[in-house]
Amino acid sequence: MSNGGTSPASGIITRSYKPGSIVYFENDKSEYIYVVKAGLVILTSTKPETGEEVKEEVKPGEFFGVKSSLGKYPREETAQTVKETVCLVLTLADFERLILKNVNVVVKMLRIFSNQLRRIGRTVREVLGESNTVNPEMELFKIGEYYYRVGRFQQALYAYKRYMEYYPDTKYSDVAMKRIREIDSGRAEENVGSDMSMDIPEDPAPRESADVDMTDFSLDDPGASSGEDMFQDSNGGAESIATEMDEFLSEPVDSDLESFSFDDEPAGETASGADITEKFYDAMSSFSQNNFETAKDLYESILEQKNLKNDSEKKIYEKAHFEIGRTYYKMKKFKDAINAFSLLLKTFPKSENVKNALLHIGMIFYDTGKNEKAGTYFQKVASMEPKDEVSRNAMKYLKALENK
Amino acid sequence: MLIDEKLFDKFGVEFSPGEIIFCEFEPGNEFYFIQSGKVEIVKIINNREKTLDILETGDVFGEMAILEEEPRSASAIALDHVKVLRFHRTNFDTLLHGNPQLAYKLLVIFSKRIYDAKRRLMILLLDDPQAKVMDVMNMLAEQDPHIDMQEAVTLHITIQDVANWAGMQIAEVQKILTHLNKLGKIELFNDRIIVRNIKDFQRLVNTRRKNMYS
Repeated sequence: MSNGGTSPASGIITRSYKPGSIVYFENDKSEYIYVVKAGLVILTSTKPETGEEVKEEVKPGEFFGVKSSLGKYPREETAQTVKETVCLVLTLADFERLILKNVNVVVKMLRIFSNQLRRIGRTVREVLGESNTVNPEMELFKIGEYYYRVGRFQQALYAYKRYMEYYPDTKYSDVAMKRIREIDSGRAEENVGSDMSMDIPEDPAPRESADVDMTDFSLDDPGASSGEDMFQDSNGGAESIATEMDEFLSEPVDSDLESFSFDDEPAGETASGADITEKFYDAMSSFSQNNFETAKDLYESILEQKNLKNDSEKKIYEKAHFEIGRTYYKMKKFKDAINAFSLLLKTFPKSENVKNALLHIGMIFYDTGKNEKAGTYFQKVASMEPKDEVSRNAMKYLKALENK
Repeated sequence: MLIDEKLFDKFGVEFSPGEIIFCEFEPGNEFYFIQSGKVEIVKIINNREKTLDILETGDVFGEMAILEEEPRSASAIALDHVKVLRFHRTNFDTLLHGNPQLAYKLLVIFSKRIYDAKRRLMILLLDDPQAKVMDVMNMLAEQDPHIDMQEAVTLHITIQDVANWAGMQIAEVQKILTHLNKLGKIELFNDRIIVRNIKDFQRLVNTRRKNMYS
């Protein structure tokens, strides 16, 4: 093809430029799209983050001016030739016709655009201070938890199922499975929908377990009053387990409860809601990475929280009672662990974690060689409905005790 | 845009109202083309669900999945009975070769999204809160081709919207808007803001931006 004029075959205009010619300026509005046929074009733009000038070469066979033309916005760069240059000048209609016949070009462009969009997205997140290193596994679970808490079970179910599909053997798969069953069986609506999130009265089986009175079964256990006590500073002697618990409870740790309010106050800063939830998940995450010290600190600060403003925060507050006990257990701080579990049993006797707390108390006795006490707890847990993972664990411990 | 009927037999999927099409943070390998119905794009931010967009017939979503697998950055939920075409990344090339029109449409969508994202970045990078708030209004005015910049401009946004765009706290935005209101630069309503002289705002922000770089 010769320089200049219209190519008769396609109707597309070719234009020749002397070196140093401006094809268009930044901020110009125009619908033309260019293809370099021969020569070289330099695009000069400003990097928004720093204001520095960025130059990009466009070689023969390459397009420029595509995005602003398609998106119908002003040119973002100035296009200037550096040699004798020939360009094809396409209208939108020309461009469309041309690329419809060259889909490979489109696919290539789409990949470039997609990359650019990702890069800008990353910069935006950086500027907003949003972390780019989020853990999608954890976040997906959190989405499920969000919908679960607000009672949108259909959406929660989707998120939990996806979580199980992609991350079946991870930290929260037990919780996710539990939630899925709960929602499928229709139990979740009653749990979450209830005004006081601490009440879980619906299903008869958990109710039985929820009503466990520590005095009841501790008296059944002759070993419990045998006078041996693992905790030297806990007034050993002939106290039953229940008394043991009571003593732990008389320690300052529960004084916070006096000021703890269940009232649905409008609450101070909007930040606190995100705060307590964030803390909880951070703590769970630390726990899963064996950072028990961090997890403990986070749970502690949740337990110090007052003025919980909605059901979901109350739920987290309740769960933190169990989780901190579990964390202490992992740290082998058994006394603190017993303390925490006792507080949970006293404060939230209907908590869904009651059974698991009892199991953990048994485990503490087991680990410290108080086999009889341990056995009492494991038996209690094993007898509690429904027969779930916690029951199975208790059974395992009972077997282990037999062989001990 | 016309889509081959046969395509729907092969790639068509339907969703009922409230159904999640995909969820934030799940791995994304497919992108979607709305044939009918409305799809809400939402994100959980600070323990609240925020609507980012509502898409309708002819719109595309999930398009970031065409390059490589990446966790979804937002969730898509069917608002009513929704029919979509769902394409996996591995079908992408074949699909586009069979439907160049779709390829063209995607190019246009990407062009617009890149520009919008860059424009938003420009706002966020400003170092002065008042300039950020003004530039949000500039951006919204630029987006509406029917707006006559020579006259007072009515923008249908709330303080919350401005705060989201500017990446600022609502309280701070409120303060700035109240101030601008007092100066007679804008009129503040619950559901809209009227800017007396948008060209004034554009000039101020441009100067600010230039000074920032120099």
